[in-house]
Amino acid sequence: METTKKVKLNAGFINDYRAYIFLAAVLVAGLFANNFYTVFNFTSIFNSSALYTFIGIGFTLCMIAGHMDLSVGYMATLGAIMVLGMHTLSGLPWAVSFIIAIGVGALFGLFNGVLVAKAKIHSFIATLGTQFVIKGIMNIYCNGAEISVKGDYGLTDAMAVTVPVLPFSVYFLITLATVVIFAVVLSKTRFGRNVYILGGNLETAWLAGIKSDKNTIVIFMLSGIVCGFGGALYAVYTGTATPTLGEKGIAPLMVALTATIIGGTDINGGKGSVVNTFISILAIVAMFSVMTTIVGKFEMQILFIGIALAFCVIYETLSKYNKQKTIGLRPNLYNEYKKETGRQRI
Amino acid sequence: MTNKAADAAAVKKDVRRTDISKRSIIVNKLGIYIVVAILLVVGLIIKQGDYVSIDNLRSILSAVALTGICCAGLAFVVYSANFNDMSLPMTIALSGMMAVQLIPFGIVVSVLGGLAAGTLVGVVNGVLIGKFRANPIIWTLAFNLVLSGIVRVAWGGSQIYPDVVAGDSPAALAAAEQFTSFARTYFLNGSLPLMVVVMIVLFVVAYILLTRTKFGNQLKIVGSNYEVAKLSGINTSKTIILAYVFCSFCAAVTGIFYASQTKIGAYSNGEGYDFSCLTAVLLGGMMLSGGKGTIVGVFGGVLVVGMLNNIMTLIGIPTFQQYLVTGLVFLFVVWLNTNSERKLGRA
Repeated sequence: METTKKVKLNAGFINDYRAYIFLAAVLVAGLFANNFYTVFNFTSIFNSSALYTFIGIGFTLCMIAGHMDLSVGYMATLGAIMVLGMHTLSGLPWAVSFIIAIGVGALFGLFNGVLVAKAKIHSFIATLGTQFVIKGIMNIYCNGAEISVKGDYGLTDAMAVTVPVLPFSVYFLITLATVVIFAVVLSKTRFGRNVYILGGNLETAWLAGIKSDKNTIVIFMLSGIVCGFGGALYAVYTGTATPTLGEKGIAPLMVALTATIIGGTDINGGKGSVVNTFISILAIVAMFSVMTTIVGKFEMQILFIGIALAFCVIYETLSKYNKQKTIGLRPNLYNEYKKETGRQRI
Repeated sequence: MTNKAADAAAVKKDVRRTDISKRSIIVNKLGIYIVVAILLVVGLIIKQGDYVSIDNLRSILSAVALTGICCAGLAFVVYSANFNDMSLPMTIALSGMMAVQLIPFGIVVSVLGGLAAGTLVGVVNGVLIGKFRANPIIWTLAFNLVLSGIVRVAWGGSQIYPDVVAGDSPAALAAAEQFTSFARTYFLNGSLPLMVVVMIVLFVVAYILLTRTKFGNQLKIVGSNYEVAKLSGINTSKTIILAYVFCSFCAAVTGIFYASQTKIGAYSNGEGYDFSCLTAVLLGGMMLSGGKGTIVGVFGGVLVVGMLNNIMTLIGIPTFQQYLVTGLVFLFVVWLNTNSERKLGRA
């Protein structure tokens, strides 16, 4: 134990505040971009980060519990299709349409949860399959076509209203509220603690009397609910919903994955925070904005987000690899080795 | 005294079977071919005589060939307990685009360049996952995104065509002609496409690698139990690197044939291959927990996926419903797969 602590001492600060450092770096880079520090630009950054935030919350929640939910992107698309389909095609009021969209998200979350918790399928394999089921059902429902609000822009306009002084729209405030709710649930409630224990050590969780199956199902349902809600809000905000949302360009799933990993969530679960994910999503969207002004090429965004993700994964992997090397070594021998060679690593 | 008697009684009562019957082994190994036969019968019922006509069989085999070539490689990654190679789509796209781009330098350089580009992906994946133990799903997803960025930036997000790339020089045009003819070459009076021959060759190579070589034996131990493999002195990182390299090599071959068949090099070339290939491999009886399954079975899985798609198209199921069916079939297969593992006390 002693040796591992010494090796990662200086890396601890960077690991914990990676998201904030990334955001600071992007903000500094923003100094060199034209019109980055304007209210209008910040409003647009906040608004375009909203969908990613909802997906990121769902993804982070699952990853803290030690699972991966690859279906989050399609879940959001399904929510978008359902809310406009119910409102425009079936003529239901907004409230009912929203409830149906969230309910459908919860249903597929339940489906995922049962596959993972009861059938014991690896979560990423199960959700890889659910993706296609959702894609099929969604396309059958809307016949592969785009659905729009068709002139009923009341709610769309209401969501775009900005708060005085701050560059926050109502849409972003709802997002912010969701982040706060999930942060509080994860850190202050019994369910939140259970999520961390489940991800940290399943055996401990079982010995502590936590119903792991039930909690896993609830986690996947929450992920489905938050993604369905996020997709529904996005559809209302933009006024349209297409079944190929996110298939052109950067898939929302990849943004969520990148943000989750930059935010310091452990790949194996047990560690992580929704707020850090939110901060890294803001940083990523701000990076897109900076790059649009400086580079001006959409393709560069994909390359940069990919490099950021790959860099983080390699960094985590290497630090874990080096940590593994020192496990089982005798501390006094290790200290001697360090003194003789002057090297930290073996 | 009484204790011993009780023990003896317990021993007598224990009638669990420890031997494995020959029949169950055959059903386990060749069970997938029963499904193939059933699908053949279903196809015959639906389409009567047309289903076994040369035309339809050729179209099934051609449609299967691209997935099949990829599956021969992916089987090794699944076998080594690394679940899935999510960077397959971009490996296919990258090798296809590289091959198309190099056409002006001659057909040999083009094919070798495509293969090299794809294989390089496997080397990177293998080193990161085999040597440094990165999470296989997250790393390959991340690398897929990086490759997608590289491909889009390098070619400006546009598609490239062999005859356009070749330009005006007659030698390059001839090479482009040759390149597009790869997927249109037939043997035996037009009944056996070159792609199918390559697929069968790769499956034979995979079979020999997995069952007849030291690498195959080591891979089985690495896949079944990584720690045991390491403690028994197997070079685990080398084994996993080789598995990934073979997987990416097969993906590169797929990429070249794909580009040749569609006459386009585009970043969307390999879309969905990670999913469909995994379906075929798992259908063929490869276990997700690694170290279990046969190449013969995987070949059957590839046939089933191809025939299923063919029958769905013949019946006239629209694309969207096909997504649903493929997803459900995938989940069902994975469930069966995991369930049998749980019965064995694993996973």
